[in-house]
Amino acid sequence: MHGAGNLYLLSGMAATDELVFMMGQYPARIPLDRLYSPSHFWLKAEGSVFRVGFTAYSVRLLQDVYFLSWSIDGETTVRKKQEIGEIESSKAVSTLYAPCDGRILRFNERVASDPTPINTDNYGTGWLYELETSDPLLSGADYVAVLEAGWEQTQRMIKGQMNE
Amino acid sequence: MAGKKITVVISQAPGRNPTKRNLEEELAAALLVESDVDVSLVPHLNDLTADHSGLLFLKGVPGDMVVLSWLFPRAARWILDRNGVKGQLGTSLLKPADEDEEAGTEAERAEESRPNAIGALNAPKRKIYCIDLRDQNDPRVVLDEIRRIAREATVQTVDLDLMSWIGGSPAPAQMQRYLNPFAPNGAPAVPANGHTPVAAPNGANRIHSSPFGLINGADLTGLPATPASGPAADDALRRRWYPIIDYSRCTNCMACIDFCLFGVYGVDAQDRILVEQQDNCKKGCPACSRVCPENAIIFPEHKTPAIAGADVERDANFKIDLSKLFGAPTAIEVAAAERDQELLNDGREAVGLSVGIPKRRTEQPQQRDQLDDLMDDLDKLGL
Repeated sequence: MHGAGNLYLLSGMAATDELVFMMGQYPARIPLDRLYSPSHFWLKAEGSVFRVGFTAYSVRLLQDVYFLSWSIDGETTVRKKQEIGEIESSKAVSTLYAPCDGRILRFNERVASDPTPINTDNYGTGWLYELETSDPLLSGADYVAVLEAGWEQTQRMIKGQMNE
Repeated sequence: MAGKKITVVISQAPGRNPTKRNLEEELAAALLVESDVDVSLVPHLNDLTADHSGLLFLKGVPGDMVVLSWLFPRAARWILDRNGVKGQLGTSLLKPADEDEEAGTEAERAEESRPNAIGALNAPKRKIYCIDLRDQNDPRVVLDEIRRIAREATVQTVDLDLMSWIGGSPAPAQMQRYLNPFAPNGAPAVPANGHTPVAAPNGANRIHSSPFGLINGADLTGLPATPASGPAADDALRRRWYPIIDYSRCTNCMACIDFCLFGVYGVDAQDRILVEQQDNCKKGCPACSRVCPENAIIFPEHKTPAIAGADVERDANFKIDLSKLFGAPTAIEVAAAERDQELLNDGREAVGLSVGIPKRRTEQPQQRDQLDDLMDDLDKLGL
């Protein structure tokens, strides 16, 4: 689709490792070893729980994260779209919402006090919390399709906010 | 020898906040002795009713007008317009503390450049300047701005009352009648004894020893008491809650009238949307403002600045809100939940999203061609 993000495989790596979605000039990596939510979080199974973090798409829009805070404790049952915290970065602010129905078990305390790993290692040490859920989640390829479908609207939303 | 005069109206904050009252009094006292300014007090604009004397006064002001209130300027402007107090947008150079120069001119350009807006009807050529007193601590800053506006005023008004004694010094009784045409109960004032002290221009006078009156107010000592036969004092003005349409943004899409299930909206003789039954509006409910695609609905008393009529500030600290991306409920979902709450409170049934939900225009004709520009612009913006 003219103007939308492109989808290609990084050369030199195994074909199944990851996909890349082009946000303008920026390549957002989408590893295929985990699942995704349309609200731009990854969920990686670690035994019986999922570890949850921001995708490269999220981090690219946030840029340098300054501040992260959670408004609920660990061991809390949550509903999808329930408010659970806030984030602020150099360019953006956002409320944070539960990506699905489930139970948040524990938060990454290190990242809660120093959110730098969100920018330096968003798929690894930058994880946010651990969650139990049985809601359906997206594969990497499905998530990239969501990015493709929503990229124009996202740009419009951002541009709209800047023009208001 | 009628000069160019502007009218300054101070719309008093509701309640009895002493800091706000002090600012109002300092401004009023200083403006009393400005030669090209006529100053008057009215109650809080949002709470005025159609038959209130303060509103009748406002409608009678012919020329340029500066309205000082405790509301966002956009809210004040469109409350006035709704009540038949119409004019062109006057631009004040006063800025809230954290806003920068460009933002003000952007707001002004914004009002002129929305092509699909239906605009205010029959706005006369005079200018109305609205200033939000919540942004200003220093009365001198406000006074300087009023003087600047007065200098640029272009509308000549001939005030027949003024003409009759402009050559000499007005007697105290004349001054009293001129400044305070309405007594506490809203009827034209007739001073009991005709002798009221004129405000001395030394700044030391307090409001309550001057002939200056609170329209419909009773907080003054030392004034001859005009028998009040109506409601006791202006603290009897009930707080009101109702939407105000910003016609510089409204495109007459009718999403609001479809959505509101309480009969607040209607249409006028020209089929333009208007807020018909203000008092049908459920107190505290802002739901319809969320469904308006142009953000043209203002609830001046709402705690969220964007809903209360603030212009978005464009300063260095501006940050994009990514909540919509990160899984927030949509504005429509929030609006439907608020509406359901009001329905249930009323003993009616909740309807969720099944009634009166606007269908969003998903294709926007020109956007396709501009898509590549969008991406390049975003890259240039450093996103």
